[in-house]
Amino acid sequence: MGLKLMAQQRHEHSLALLRIGAVWAVLILGLTITLTQLRIDPGYLVRRSDILFKIIDGLWTTIGVSLLSVAIAAVLALVGALGRLSDNALAQGLSGFYVSIFRGTPLLIQIYIIYLGLPQLGLQLQQAGFRELGQLFILDALTSGILALSLNYGAYMTEIFRAGLQSIHHGQWEAAEAIGMTRWQILRRVILPQAVRIIIPDVGNQFIAMQKDSALVSVMGVWEITYLANRSARLDSKYMELFLVAAALYWLLTIVSSFFQSRLEKRMAHAYER
Amino acid sequence: MNAEPGPIVQVRGLHKWFGLLHVLRDVSLTVQPREVVVIIGRSGSGKSTFLRCLNFLEQPSAGEIEVAGLRVALDVGQRPPRDRVTAIRLRTGMVFQEFNLFPHMTALENVIEGLVTVKRLARAAAVPIGERYLDKVGLLEKRDVHPIRLSGGQKQRVAIARALAMEPQVMLFDEPTSALDPELIGEVLEVMQQLAREGTTMLVVTHEMQFAREVADRVVYMEDGAIVEAGPPDVIFSAPTSPKTRQFLERIL
Repeated sequence: MGLKLMAQQRHEHSLALLRIGAVWAVLILGLTITLTQLRIDPGYLVRRSDILFKIIDGLWTTIGVSLLSVAIAAVLALVGALGRLSDNALAQGLSGFYVSIFRGTPLLIQIYIIYLGLPQLGLQLQQAGFRELGQLFILDALTSGILALSLNYGAYMTEIFRAGLQSIHHGQWEAAEAIGMTRWQILRRVILPQAVRIIIPDVGNQFIAMQKDSALVSVMGVWEITYLANRSARLDSKYMELFLVAAALYWLLTIVSSFFQSRLEKRMAHAYER
Repeated sequence: MNAEPGPIVQVRGLHKWFGLLHVLRDVSLTVQPREVVVIIGRSGSGKSTFLRCLNFLEQPSAGEIEVAGLRVALDVGQRPPRDRVTAIRLRTGMVFQEFNLFPHMTALENVIEGLVTVKRLARAAAVPIGERYLDKVGLLEKRDVHPIRLSGGQKQRVAIARALAMEPQVMLFDEPTSALDPELIGEVLEVMQQLAREGTTMLVVTHEMQFAREVADRVVYMEDGAIVEAGPPDVIFSAPTSPKTRQFLERIL
């Protein structure tokens, strides 16, 4: 009876997957038909495969910028969240101000200010005699982009981390305190491992959003997908063709990231499965 | 547990305020090595708060606490030195009503966490100790199982093993069976009874009157944040001196 029921459930499950797959197939067909109505020249991508591959090359920059930025953002977010949760006024004030300002202003403007504004400060510092310090403020386009993305996403992720840390029952702190662990040990060994599992869906969501927001660093001429598509399109006025290529690459990236995210979620869930 | 000369827990004039609420009013208690003291009373009587003050999970507002030779005396508004608190926590083991096992660790990892992180033992040295204590609570075969796959009674027994593994000089039990289904209470009480037989010094806050009657050397009745009376169980249960104690016992027995 039980076996029969399980087989039945498995059968229903694969049937449901099949139906969802069919819906996707229809939608993709519809999308393709719609796109063919645009006046585009698909043959161009074959004739100028050199341009196509150049844009695909931009994928690596996009991946690199996103990965580095999300890593730095995670560190900022952890520090920010600890600041938000601390009872120290300075730490609370600093982290609250940071979150407020970087969530409260557009990423694009942050990019401009970091890329165009910081060097002015740097030059003034250098004129005042602080040569090395001033040099630190003069950033190239790639560094500016990574810095802006990290700071911006770090602010959003601060709130995610804060909620994640707060969601851990205070009994966990108490049990760890009772065996003599220090605050830092408790955080590292008991609280963070549990919080990470809870925040992974949200952080993954942020990472996926960031991959596409990284297109904004194209305004500084960083050779990522969007910049290369835009620049190459100008040569033969093939905007639609190359933007569609760019869009497809971002979509592909997102699908791959989602896949790894769900794998990670499954792995972290292991301890919590009955 | 080595027998020390003199009392192992000494509390004098302990006060605790939660804001304007005076939840512990001048509580004093002395516990001798190998003694089992059971604290009873209504919920809200301050018995759990008192227990939690002993290892500073709750910050006492004023008074003097001495555990295993470590003394902390506080005036109103003073905070205890952090290293002293840690030292006291290392000499006390605590078992919670809600178990508070670490869900991301297996039973064994829970038990050895303090040995590895706090006592800085190598994992290879900690594992046999952890296994010994899991065996003591009868759960060695569950060593690699995560808490979610344990019953409430098993969780609490792992929690007891986790506290014991640190080899404390006093065990504190804060309503250890209150969150358990009735049929699982027995296995936890059995482990506690065994510990008592082995001479473990224990302070137990509980509603299990049968346990208090059979295992306690001394029963303490608390009401409104103060100790009303304390004495051997047969005296407290059959001939309490205070009408308050009598009233409480009449209601629950």
